[in-house]
Amino acid sequence: MTRQFVSNSKLGVFVIAGMLFLILLLYMIGKNENMFGNTFRLRAQFGNVQGLTAGNNVRYAGIQVGTVKKVNILNDTLIEVVMLIETKMKQYIRKNAVVSIGTDGLMGNRVLNISPSVKPAPLVETNDILPVKKTAEMDEMLQTLARTNEDVAVIATQLKNTVNRINNSAAVWDILNDKSLPQHFRASLLNVRSATAKTVRLVSDLQLLVSNVKEGKGSLGAIISDSALALGLQEAISRISRVGEDADSLAQVISTLAGNIQYDIENGRGPARAILKDSVLAENLQLSIQNLQKGTEGFNAIMEALKHNFLFRGYFRKLEKQKEKDKQPARGQ
Amino acid sequence: MMVNTQNWKQWLEEAGEMSRFTGRFFSQWFRPRYEVTEFFRQCFIVGYRSLPLVGLTGFIMGLVLTLQLRPSLIDYGVESQLPAMVGIAIVREVGPVITALIFAGKIGSSIGAELGSMKVTEQIDAMEVSGTNPFKYLVVTRVLATTLMLPVLVMLGDAISLYGSYLGVNIRGVTSFDLFWTQVFDNLSFGDVVPAFVKSFFFGFAVGMVGCFKGYHSHKGTEGVGRSANSAVVLSSILIFIIDLVAVQVTDILGLN
Repeated sequence: MTRQFVSNSKLGVFVIAGMLFLILLLYMIGKNENMFGNTFRLRAQFGNVQGLTAGNNVRYAGIQVGTVKKVNILNDTLIEVVMLIETKMKQYIRKNAVVSIGTDGLMGNRVLNISPSVKPAPLVETNDILPVKKTAEMDEMLQTLARTNEDVAVIATQLKNTVNRINNSAAVWDILNDKSLPQHFRASLLNVRSATAKTVRLVSDLQLLVSNVKEGKGSLGAIISDSALALGLQEAISRISRVGEDADSLAQVISTLAGNIQYDIENGRGPARAILKDSVLAENLQLSIQNLQKGTEGFNAIMEALKHNFLFRGYFRKLEKQKEKDKQPARGQ
Repeated sequence: MMVNTQNWKQWLEEAGEMSRFTGRFFSQWFRPRYEVTEFFRQCFIVGYRSLPLVGLTGFIMGLVLTLQLRPSLIDYGVESQLPAMVGIAIVREVGPVITALIFAGKIGSSIGAELGSMKVTEQIDAMEVSGTNPFKYLVVTRVLATTLMLPVLVMLGDAISLYGSYLGVNIRGVTSFDLFWTQVFDNLSFGDVVPAFVKSFFFGFAVGMVGCFKGYHSHKGTEGVGRSANSAVVLSSILIFIIDLVAVQVTDILGLN
């Protein structure tokens, strides 16, 4: 009888263990499918549910909060999805939360995502219809990808042409193959460096100069900062100004003088007036010059007569021969 | 040709006898007097005593299945789905079928041999003479015990298999028990558990029924006992697969898949 009891208790433990596991299994599945516990319904209306079926998970901000209860066709373009959501989520989900259809992983089951909105809105109530957001479908993505691929092909062709041109360009390859180029470049850089060093020195010299000027050293400094020199300069300038004034008065005197001379010429005083303005004198002068001309003509006639005179003919011939002689050697040469 | 006809005739006769035997079980099991003590004793032997064997095979199956599936899943880059996949495989198919086959090997043969030896030593006839209904005492208790105990064994076998799978996942990767648990149960549905659980009743019934029939109808002395035990295992194993085939069709028709 004792043995009987032991075997019965063992049997009891065995059966209870088996049943417990079954119950656990069923409970876990039931819990996942929201069969137990408090739930409430929410609805959303889509144009295309992309394969969503009853039992798919519903997530609020990524947290599992319920399942899809059923998918009803309302009319030819509208499909209503009824969700069972845990009651405790009622204090978080608001009326403007957006429902979208997503995929669990890359190839996984469809899921409904409820995303909270940042704008304020009252909390949801049972059987509310939430707004929906259209998500990218695989087909649409592939279509976009096809267009992108075409663009990429065009870009690749252009890139290929560019590379070909670079490859065929002798100038670029000359530059690339030139082994002396790095040395030159290095030398240039060294020059730039020394130039920079010199510039730095120059700048420091300039700085020193400027500071000297500021401190009043040197002539420029004296100009800028010596007050005595400034006074001297001022005096010099005032003198120059006075000289200018004197020159003005001198010019006036000269002008007056010229005016007087003009007056004298106009009103007949002195020899200048006689020469310029006296017509009698001018006539006399003309006559004198005519007389002179006549006298000169007479003299010429006398000279011609003399040439023909035998007394003087020998002399003139001698003169002519002398002239001929002077021309001859020039010809002979 | 003659032999062939003889075989066919024999096979049909046996099928008819077995149907009659099954009908006899259904007409007797709910009528008093109930052999409660014997039923519990059979439950203890059939269920509890089979647990170590079922547990061991279940554990190994879970472990091996996990390690075997891993390379293929790595090829597809879905190694993280290993617990989900092994969980579904174990609960839907491997658990019930492997457990039932082990059960058929252990219990089917022992029932066949036990009843066969009782038959050839004419203990069953003696029982009938003494006023005890041998069918009720021997067959009904055993068939009920196998029918009710196999589902329990399947459930425990599933649990041990899943534990083996958990260890298998952790041999190469690192997955916490919580994550493993969540992944397994997230991917299971009633459609996975309920048909598997229901069909294990049929498996148990088939094993008990075939074992009892073969034992009850054994003849030709001690040689016949061995043949009864052997054919009980073979026939019940085949029946398990046939029932499995029918079950998967029925669940498909019912839309539980």
